[in-house]
Amino acid sequence: MERRTFMEIIGAGSLILPPLACGLRRPVAAGPTFLDGIATTCELCPNKCSVLAVVKDGHITKLNPNPDNPKSRGMLCARGNAAVQQVYDPDRLKQPLIRVGARGEGKWRPASWDEAFDYTAKKLSDIKAKHGPEGTLWSSTEGFQEIFFKNLGQAFGSPNVMRHPSLCLASVNLAYSMTYGTVPSFDLLNADYVIMAGANRFESIITPDTMDLIGGTMERKAKLIYLDPRFTVTASKADEWYPIKPGTDMAFILAMMNVIIAENRYDKAFLESETVGFEQLVEHVKPYTPEWAEGETEIPAQDIARIARAFADAAPRAVFYAGRRSSWYQNDFQMRRAQALLNAIVGNWDRQGGMVPNQKIAKGEFLVLPWDDPKAARVDEVEKAFPLASAKDGVYLPLRENLLKGQPYPVKGWMIYKQDPLHALPDQGKTMKMLDQMEFVGVIDIAMSDTAWYADVVFPESHYLERTDPIEVMPGIWPAAVYRQQVVKPIHDTKPCLEIAQGLAKRLGLSDYFDYTIEQWVEAEAKELPIQNGLEHMKQRGVVAVSQPKYGTTRNPVHRFLTKSGKIELFSDRLKEAGHDPLPVYTPPVQPSGGRFRLVLGRKATITHATLTNLPWLHEHNPENDLWIHPEPAAKLNIQSGDLLEVSSSVGQVRIKARVTQEIRPDCVFMLHGFGKKSPWLKRVHNVGAADSVLLETAWDKVSGNAAMHETFVKVVKA
Amino acid sequence: MATKSVKTAQRYAMVIDAKKCINCKACVVACKAENQVPLGVFRNWIDEETSGEYPHLRMSFDPEQCHHCADPSCVRVCPTGASWQREDGIVLVNEDDCIGCKYCIIACPYDARYHNPETHTVGKCTFCSHRVDRGELPACVETCPSKVRVFGDLNDPKSQLHQLLATRRYEVKNPQTGNGPQLYYLL
Repeated sequence: MERRTFMEIIGAGSLILPPLACGLRRPVAAGPTFLDGIATTCELCPNKCSVLAVVKDGHITKLNPNPDNPKSRGMLCARGNAAVQQVYDPDRLKQPLIRVGARGEGKWRPASWDEAFDYTAKKLSDIKAKHGPEGTLWSSTEGFQEIFFKNLGQAFGSPNVMRHPSLCLASVNLAYSMTYGTVPSFDLLNADYVIMAGANRFESIITPDTMDLIGGTMERKAKLIYLDPRFTVTASKADEWYPIKPGTDMAFILAMMNVIIAENRYDKAFLESETVGFEQLVEHVKPYTPEWAEGETEIPAQDIARIARAFADAAPRAVFYAGRRSSWYQNDFQMRRAQALLNAIVGNWDRQGGMVPNQKIAKGEFLVLPWDDPKAARVDEVEKAFPLASAKDGVYLPLRENLLKGQPYPVKGWMIYKQDPLHALPDQGKTMKMLDQMEFVGVIDIAMSDTAWYADVVFPESHYLERTDPIEVMPGIWPAAVYRQQVVKPIHDTKPCLEIAQGLAKRLGLSDYFDYTIEQWVEAEAKELPIQNGLEHMKQRGVVAVSQPKYGTTRNPVHRFLTKSGKIELFSDRLKEAGHDPLPVYTPPVQPSGGRFRLVLGRKATITHATLTNLPWLHEHNPENDLWIHPEPAAKLNIQSGDLLEVSSSVGQVRIKARVTQEIRPDCVFMLHGFGKKSPWLKRVHNVGAADSVLLETAWDKVSGNAAMHETFVKVVKA
Repeated sequence: MATKSVKTAQRYAMVIDAKKCINCKACVVACKAENQVPLGVFRNWIDEETSGEYPHLRMSFDPEQCHHCADPSCVRVCPTGASWQREDGIVLVNEDDCIGCKYCIIACPYDARYHNPETHTVGKCTFCSHRVDRGELPACVETCPSKVRVFGDLNDPKSQLHQLLATRRYEVKNPQTGNGPQLYYLL
C-alpha cells in the first residue's frame, strides 16, 4: 500500500489523522527511500507499532513513528519513545548468569553461553529422566520470538506449554468465538455510539482503538458511555460516566437487551436470517428490567432505558466494546457473552461503525520438522476442566493449583520467557511456593525481573532494537504485517530467543528442529506477502498494510459462521452440553463486608503490565504507586493522603501510601501494577510502593479459566 | 490572525486542542529523547486539573511548553544575548553565550525555562528547530497519539494551523503580559 492511498482513505472516511502541517517533508514525501531511519516494530507493549529508528555513529538517538502502519495511526507513545533508554539501561542483563547462593539471595556467577546452556540442558535432562518431559513447564508471554520458545518446549516433549491468555483476554475471546465463531474488531473510527465498561482506552492504549476513539468523541462528536468504578481519563472524556457497582456489568447489559427487545428496537431481519436462539433470548431477558438492574448496578433505571434506546437507534453504528484484559470476575465469560448478544440484536455485525470481522494479511510459513505429540496430558487438565477453552494456551491458575499438589504428576522444571509470573499471576505467595518446589528455573528476559531474581539461570535476551524477529500479522479492520529488524548490533553479550533455543536444542539433542536461521525464517514468510519483493519492502518500510476496510463481506446468504449451527449463536447448545448456562444468567457478585474494600486494577499509558516502571523517563511520571481510597471511608479510618497504610487480604499484606481521592467508588480501592519489586536490579522500584499480586487471591472464570482479578477484598488500616 | 512582528516568509506557531489530550506523556518522553533533556526538568509538560465531587467530577489536561512569543520577555532580559529569536519566530538559547543567570527563567510568564543541572545553562523548547529545518515536525507533534498539537506556519494560508485559527475559537494564555504568545489553545 502506498501511504498516499492510506491518507486518501482515511480522509474519505471520517477524519482522524489531521492533514500534515505546512508542507513539512516528513512524513509526506513518497517513494521507497523517504524514511529517515531504520524501519522496525516496537516491543514495549503488545500493540506492535511501526517505528523508524534514527542511528548516528552506531548509537540509536531517537525513535519516530512510522506513518506507514495504519494500525499505529502515525504515533509512538511514551513507552515506545523510552525504548532507547532500555537499550542503554545500565541495569539490563548483560551476560548469562548462574545462581551461586540461595534462591533470591542475589549471588550470581557470570557465565559463558556454553556454560549456561550446558548447565540448563543437564538440569532439564535430569528432570526428564526422572519425571518425563511432562515434568517441565514452559511459560511465556506474547512476543514475536515466543514461537521459538514454545517450539523448544514442544520438541522437548512437554505438553505443558503455558501461554498468557488466561491472564489476559481468554474470556472475551472465548465468549465472542462461541457466539460468532470469531473475535471481531470494533470500528471506533466510524461508530456513533460507544459503550465501554472498564475498558479504559485512554490510559490503556490499544491501537488503533485509542486514537480512533479520541477522533470519534472529539472530532465527530460520537457518544461515549463509560462504566467504571474509577474516574479514569476515559471517564473524563466520556459523555456519561457511571461508577457502576463492580461485578454488575452483566445486569446493565441484560437490562439493555430487555428494553431493546420489549420496545421492538432490535434488527428483526438480521436476527431472523443470521442467528439462532432469539426466541429463547426474548424469554430469558424478560425478568431483567431496568428497574431490577438499578438495584444491582446503582445506575438509575431511566438512564439504562435511555442508553438502551439511544444505542439501538444509533445501530448499526453503535457498539458495546468488548474490552481487552478481561480477567475480572468468575462470571467473566458470561458477561462478555451478554455483550456479544447485545451487539448481535442491534445488527451491528459487519457494518461500518459496528463490529467487524478481522481481515488478515497473507504471509508465508517456514516449515519446521514436526515433533511427536506429547505422550502425557497437560498438567492443568484443561481439556477436562475447561473443555471449551484453548487447550494450547492452557489455564494458568488451575495449573498452579495442580502443580502445587503434584497432581496429576510432578512438574519440577520451569522455563520462562519474557514473563514475570511473580507479578503476572495473582497471589505472589503461591507463585513463590511454586518456584520453591521447582528443581530448576530458567528465565529468558532483558531485565532482572522478580522471577529472574529467583531463578537458577538467567539468559539475557537481546533487546528488540538489537534483533531481527519473525514477521507478525496483526488482523483487524486495518490489518497489517509488520517486521522487526535489527537496528544496532547487541551491545552486550546477549542473544535473541531463537539462538537461546538453538543453544539449548543442540545440547538436548533437538537440533534438527531448529536447523535454520532467522533470515531463512523471515524469507519464507516474506515470500507470500501480498506485495512484490516482500522482504526488500519490509526492510525498507517495515510494514505491509491494507488500508481499505471491508464491510459486509460476511453479510450474504451463503456465509457460514464458524459455529456449530453456522449462525450467530444467541442460545448456545455447546455451552449447554458443556454444563454451562446457554444464555447468560446473572448472579449477584459477593460484595465486601466488615469494612473491607474491593481491590480493582487498571492500567496507565506509561506502564506495560508490571514492566517498564524502572525506566527513568517513565519512572519520572510514576515514581511510586499508591492506594486510591475515597474520602468518605478515608475519613472514617482517619487516613490522609501520604499516610502509610497496611493493606491485607486473605493471602497477603503490603504497605503502601494513601491517595485520598474523589476518583473512586467508596467501596473500592485501586493501585497501579508494576511496583513493590523484589529485584534490586530494578532499583527505582525495588521495595518502592506495593505489588498488587501479593494481595490478589486465586479465582478464575468458570468457563474460560481466565484469572478473576477483581474478586479480592482487602482490609485497610494505617500502618 | 496576523501577528505584528511577522515580516518574514515564515512564522511558526502551534495550535493545541487540549480536549483531545489524554495525558499519556508521549510528547514529554519524545521531547526528552529528541533533545537529551536531563531527568527532573522538562521542555514540555501537561498540567492536570481535577475538580468536583464524586460522582460529578471533571478532569482537564493542558499541554504546556514555551509559547515562542512575538515579543518575548526572556529575550529582552537576557544580559548576554544568549536568548534570541529567529526570524521565523522560534525562541532559542545559545548555550555558548548563556551564563546561567536565570533572569529569563523569572521573566518567562509560562515557567517554560529550566536550569540544566548538567551544563549550568538554561534550556527550553526549541520547537525542535533542528527537525523543522530538515522539513520535519517537532518530536512532540509527530509522536502524539491523539494529535493534540498542530504545528505550522501562520503565514501560510493553506496550512492546517492557519485554517484552524480561521475557523475555530481559541485563546492564548496570559495575553496581558504583552508577550504575544504563539501557542493557540482551541476552545
